[in-house]
This record gives sequence, C-alpha cells and structure tokens, in this order.
Amino acid sequence: MDANGSPQSPAGDWRSYERMLLPPIQDLHKLDVYTKHGGYDRLRRVLEDDDVAPDDITNEVKASGLTGRGGAGFPTGVKWTFMPEPDDRPRFLGVNGDESEPGTFKDRQVMEYNPHLMFEGILLAGYAMHIDTAYVYTRGEYTDWIALMAEQLENAYEAGYVGENILGSDFSMDIVLHKGAGAYICGEETSLMESLEGKRGYPRYKPPFPAQKGIFSCPTTINNVETLAHVPLIVQEGGDAYSTIGAEDMPGAALYGMSGHVKQPGVYEYPTGMLLSDLIYDVCGGMARGEDLKAVVPGGSSVPPIRADQIDGLSMNDESLGEVGSRTGTFCPLVLDEETDMVSFTRRVAHFYQDETCGQCTPCREGTGWLENILARIDEGEGRMRDIDLILELCDNMDGGRTICAFADGAVGPIRAAVKRFRDEFEAKCEASVYPVSTDVSAGPDSAVAATE
Amino acid sequence: MSSFDIQRPIVELPDQNPDPEFSDEELVWTDAEEEKIEAWKEQYPEDQAAIMKVLWLAQEKFGYLPPEVIKFCGETLDMSFSQAYGVATFYHQYYKEEKGTYVLDVCTCFSCQVCGGYDILHYLEEKLGVHAGETTDDGMFTVQEAECLGSCGSAPMMEITNGVYVHNLTPEKIDDLIESLRAGEVPSFTSMTLPQDEEELGGNRRTDVESTEAYQTQPRAEHMD
Ligand SMILES: Cc1cc2nc3c(=O)[nH]c(=O)nc-3n(C[C@H](O)[C@H](O)[C@H](O)COP(=O)(O)O)c2cc1C
Ligand code: SF4
Ligand code: FES
Repeated sequence: MDANGSPQSPAGDWRSYERMLLPPIQDLHKLDVYTKHGGYDRLRRVLEDDDVAPDDITNEVKASGLTGRGGAGFPTGVKWTFMPEPDDRPRFLGVNGDESEPGTFKDRQVMEYNPHLMFEGILLAGYAMHIDTAYVYTRGEYTDWIALMAEQLENAYEAGYVGENILGSDFSMDIVLHKGAGAYICGEETSLMESLEGKRGYPRYKPPFPAQKGIFSCPTTINNVETLAHVPLIVQEGGDAYSTIGAEDMPGAALYGMSGHVKQPGVYEYPTGMLLSDLIYDVCGGMARGEDLKAVVPGGSSVPPIRADQIDGLSMNDESLGEVGSRTGTFCPLVLDEETDMVSFTRRVAHFYQDETCGQCTPCREGTGWLENILARIDEGEGRMRDIDLILELCDNMDGGRTICAFADGAVGPIRAAVKRFRDEFEAKCEASVYPVSTDVSAGPDSAVAATE
Repeated sequence: MSSFDIQRPIVELPDQNPDPEFSDEELVWTDAEEEKIEAWKEQYPEDQAAIMKVLWLAQEKFGYLPPEVIKFCGETLDMSFSQAYGVATFYHQYYKEEKGTYVLDVCTCFSCQVCGGYDILHYLEEKLGVHAGETTDDGMFTVQEAECLGSCGSAPMMEITNGVYVHNLTPEKIDDLIESLRAGEVPSFTSMTLPQDEEELGGNRRTDVESTEAYQTQPRAEHMD
C-alpha cells in the first residue's frame, strides 16, 4: 500500500487522474465553451494536415487498444477495419445511444455534459471510415437530452463543423438524430439498423455483418456513444500514450455508473481497471445502509453477479472479472447489500427480459416467460425444490447460439449465475414452500413435465 | 392444486377494431407539419425510415395512436397499414390507447427495485387508487411500471409522460409532485446543472439532483397479497 491507494490496482494512481470525457468545465455542452477549451481542434488538425490519411486515424484507435463501451467490449479499431473499400454505395455510422441495459446510465452523461465531444468523435470516425451519414440512435425516454443535442448539433452545423465541406476541406458528413421509442432490443446493433429503417426492431442474422450489409444494405459500423467520445482524446494523445491509461486489456478512461446500496451513487470517470473495493468503499463512500456487501453486478443486467466473498482484488477489466465468470459489460456496477432478497432480484431480472424479448426466436420468447414464471413461483413461496434445477435446465436450452441475437445469452447469464451462486437463498424459499419436494428427485428426465402439471 | 397458477392469466386483448376516434377531416397534417415530414424524409435514403418520427409527431398531435391514426401515418410515407401498425405496436412509448393527462412511468427495474422502486409504485397506486396500467377516473393520471430508464444513480425515479425525469423519489416527493401536477405544473427539468459536487472527489461525481438518502427496501413478494 502506498499513499495513493492499493498498488495492485490496474487503474494505477487513480486519485490524481484528470478527467477527459467529463472534465470539470462549466457549461461545456455549449459550442463556444467547448471550442474555447480546444474542442474541434483535433478535427481541424486532421482535416488540415495533408499528411493525415483516414487510415491513420483507424491505426491510432487500433494502437490505443480502445474497446467498445456498449457492453460487448470488441476492439474498436479492429472493428473499423472491417469496413470494405469505398464504392458507389453510401456508408453509415450508427451511434448507439439506446442505453437501455438496466443499471446503465453513463452514455447520457456524455450526451448531457459533453455532446460536442461525441460529435467530434463521430466526425473523426466518419473521416476514418469514409462515412456519409451518422445516425445517432437515442432511446426515446431521453427526450430532454435529445432536445439539448439537437440544439447543439444545429450550432455545430452553423459553425461549419458538420455538413458540407467541413472546415473548408473536401470532407462532408451529416449527423442525424433518431429518437427511439422504448425498446431495449434496439440497442442490439442489427435491431438498431432495422429500427432506423422504419421497421420493427427485429435483430437480423449475422453474417452478413453490418460492415458488409448494414443500414439499407450499405456498409455500416455501429459504435457506442461513449466509445466515440474517446476518439478525439485518442487523436489528441496519440494511440500509444492512450493505451497506457488504466488496465492493459481494455485501456483508457471509463465512466463508472455506480448504483444500488452505496452512499454516493452516480457516474464517475476514472481509468479502466478500478478495484471494485475502491469504487464501493472509497469513491462511493461505502454502503448506504451500513449493511455488509452481498453482491455486485459489474456492468448491467446481462452480466453475471459476483458474490461479496469473491470481490477481493477484483478490478473493472475483463481479464480480472473473467476469473470469477463475469464481465465489465457497460462499466456500470450495481452494488447490493445483505438485505437484498436475491430471489426477488433475480425474478425482476427475468421479468425485464420477458418484457423486452422481441419474440422472434422460440427459445428466447418462451424461455424468458417460463423463467419469470418459475422464479415468481419460488419468490411467492410456492416453489418446488426441483424448480431450481429446472431453471438451470431451461437456461441451458436458451443460450449458446440457439437464437438470432445475444439477448437470450444476456438473459440466461445472470440468472444462471444468481441461481448457482445464491442457491442457498433459492432453496430456503423452496423449503418454506407449501410444496416441498426433496432435491433428490429434482432434475430427473421428466422434471420439466412434472413441474408444470 | 397450487393456488399459484403457473400459466399466465389470459389477458383480454384490446379491441383491435375500435370505432374510429378521429374523422377523416381531423386526420390531416398542417403545412408546418408537412414541412417537417418532408425534411425528415430527406434525412434517410428511404421514406419509410421516417415512420418513427411521424408516429411521434402524431402522438403529440392526437394524444395517442388508435388504428386510424397509425394508418394515416403509414399512408403519409407510402407504407401499408400492417407495416406501420407493426412499428407502432413494437415500441412501448407509442400509446395505442388513450392515457391520462400525465403518464407516470415508475421505474422498478433492478437498480430501482433494490432502492425501493416498488415502495414508490405501491405508494402511488394507493394514493391515486389505481393499479399500474390504469388511469384515474378523472383522467388525470396513468400509472405504469417501467423498465430501466437510464437514471439508476438517482433511484428510485420516474418519468412523466415521456419527458421529465423525477429523481430520488420519496413518499413526500410524490405528494408534492401529484399536487403540483394537479395544479398543472410539471416540475422543471432538474438534470442540467453543470458540473456538480465540486467538493466531493474534486467534482468527479455526476448525479441527478440531491444525493440519495438511505433506502427503505422491501422485497416485492411482501406486497403481493
Ligand atoms: C440485447 C442487446 C442489447 C444491447 N444494448 C446496447 C445498448 O443499449 N447500447 C449500446 O451501446 N450497445 C448495446 N448493445 C451492444 C451492441 O450490439 C453493439 O455491440 C455496440 O453498440 C457496439 O458498439 P461498441 O463496439 O462501441 O461497444 C446491445 C447488445 C445486445 C445483444
Ligand atoms: S434472441 Fe430474443 S431478442 Fe434476440 S432475436 Fe431472438 S427472440 Fe429476439
Ligand atoms: S433501474 Fe431504474 S433507472 Fe435504471
């Protein structure tokens, strides 16, 4: 332990970290304030310097090691290289501001406090990939923030940062705001494309991948709002320098959206790789109700929860969380204390997925409904012991590539982990049940049938 | 037999062919609206892509989207009724039936759940004498249970009629809120205060209004009898 906290934290000396995505500048969302603090300079430099080719931006992003912040964590620079050579088709960038993953509220902070950083990132990405139009797909609930962005976007158009011949160069690009209407699945990239095209948000089979056949069958890249906000910073600092920030496997800054039973929930910006214990006890001031920690869900409802006894030394990067079978997801940890009823909690998670499934694939549509039914039955004290294994069996029949999109995997992961890791609580609820059935007879070949009679 | 029927109850479907609420004379766009729609069409390679924006516009104009309005929106963009209906019914935020003047979407998703979201929902239900999904007799309020609204740091929270977010809810706050809504005042948008909490952690924390107090959580099952 040195003065700056735990030396083993991959986030390094996080206490003296200076914020880049959400710097403490009053009214930074306004164009004049943003430009006064160096905003759009990076874009100008890139456009004015004849030596900077589009591929150079992609290479910098690749060198930075930036990974997607939408939940899947795919390396951004590598994704950009999937775009085919320009031809006569238009090319699109889909900016994913759907942010409907339960527990996640960090993209909104970028849209609220620093929308021009996102726009600048969009333009740099557009330059790198020869994009004609970027669609910013924002969830419909963010009405007020969409209005804010629309106003700022108009200012940016007027000042010549967006539109035809940006800053006098021969690079032209449009940014269009698209308002969703309340469907979690539209955050999935292929569903987002369908929704943009004016259809139901039904995910598509992959392949073809968006780079080959995306929005209106044209080459498309989908990136998360926060991911794109990193791009101007990478261009400014240089990819190699950026890659030294935070955890090695997913470097850079990160917005940690802390929620649940902590004293000071909210969004904090620190390097990646923060120790969970630092985040909970230091940054957020500890547990809100003075109870002990019970579990942490590190990054949105689709990632498996972690037991309190597993969090020692765990940090917010995939390498570390992978050791306990979890992921960083959206970097928004939900903290749960001892008072939390894990059965009710898991039931609510199941309800979310039941509510939001698009219904195309049978395992997902039916499976999420049955998961909720069974969990509700246990939660209400009428569960059979064998229901617990029935849940696990059901889970095994839903994930692993049986469905069109990863929604089903996202539903199954946390439920399976919660049942396995907090099995004692599920058993306790079933034991008190009016229908106790010994575990000996559970999971027999006929149990699924028997449980529904 | 179990008293808990594992089969979900059969919900009565809304009438799919109600008598039209709006006449053909009412189903027209003003010049200003036409202009907006034309501009939206320009934003996309194909006109159909503007359907979500047109449906939003129609919802603002007509209050909700009965079948004839959906049909009208579809025709505006040369879409068949089934295409437009498919879109309108896919998304939660398009109201397919008439709602109260204020729609109160209480988030009960997991961060809000563990911070007392259901307490808030049930308090509101009791106060207004309706269940989630229902509208008060005077037509003022519709109470709904919402999935995560992206404001988990200020849980429990709610959204009012697809617009304003109200954070860190308590029963007292609900009382004030209902009172001011009855008086016709929507609380002002509270999130645009930049930057906040300079004292704490050098201002690193971004949160929506006041810091959260200790929560009262009750597992959902206790409310279910
Ligand atoms: C069911 C589902 C929901 C998703 N929701 C979101 C979302 O709300 N926001 C987001 O940025 N990505 C979401 N994603 C991930 C996107 O599919 C996609 O990977 C991401 O936007 C790519 O951007 P990135 O590489 O910058 O992270 C979701 C994925 C799935 C399977
Ligand atoms: S996995 Fe679920 S959400 Fe995804 S396409 Fe299939 S039914 Fe829809
Ligand atoms: S869980 Fe309620 S806002 Fe996210």
